[in-house]
Amino acid sequence: MEPLPLTEPVLLVLLSLAEQPRHGYSILKDVERMSDGRVRLSTGTLYGALRRLLDAAWIERVKEDESPRDRRPYRLTSRGRRNLQLEVERMRHLTKLAALRTARKEA
Amino acid sequence: MLTLYRWLLYLYPPVYWREYRDEMVSVFRDAHTDASAGTLRDRISFRVREASGLLAGAVREHVRIINGSDQLISIRRFTMRPEFRFPRSTVVLMLIIFAGVILAMEKANTVQVAYAAGADSIWPSTPWFFGLVLLLACASAVAVWGLLFALKRTGADRLADIQPGPNRAD
Repeated sequence: MEPLPLTEPVLLVLLSLAEQPRHGYSILKDVERMSDGRVRLSTGTLYGALRRLLDAAWIERVKEDESPRDRRPYRLTSRGRRNLQLEVERMRHLTKLAALRTARKEA
Repeated sequence: MLTLYRWLLYLYPPVYWREYRDEMVSVFRDAHTDASAGTLRDRISFRVREASGLLAGAVREHVRIINGSDQLISIRRFTMRPEFRFPRSTVVLMLIIFAGVILAMEKANTVQVAYAAGADSIWPSTPWFFGLVLLLACASAVAVWGLLFALKRTGADRLADIQPGPNRAD
């Protein structure tokens, strides 16, 4: 099971797959795009994260007979989507709290 | 570069590279093509990132296989018994204490030899004497601190706070 809170690379990988199934290179580019070039995953980091997420059944391989072995797409499972929503909710709560606290300090 | 990358993948456990090798090589090939079109800085940062990511990933996968889990926390402590855990720092502190004891024994041996040989003075000068006293005082302080720290990490200091529970009527 991937521990919560998620690390930024793992969170970005999940967000990338939340939109649509993607293969490795597509995830890599999407993560870079989402973070405005701030997060650039190496292949080692990417496949380490994918392996852990596969083990935890947060993602799965899309079974496409026509997809070549070196370009297998991944997608979120219902468990992965649920956990991603929980994490996003946790972050939303944290952001709200931070906004409240900092506003109070400035007032 | 691609050949080197393929070779480096052998650093991963066989079960891992059998599963992901083709995909990783394919992603690396595409990313390398992108990086090659960039500046020199992009190319260098790409190579550093890939090398460090690959090495860290290989270590992590080996640790996972040995440890049986991705949670490195479980190897931060030595489990002595299921209900008692020994902090890892204790090993370092015990080694320091052990080195201190060996040093003291060695010094005592030197003093004994010096007396037996009828030396006029075992202390060559006053600064040496004070220096040695200071060193021994520091070593003792570290040893005592180490013991107290190790005891605190084991939670022994909390034993005094235990309140007697209600008597069970069984």
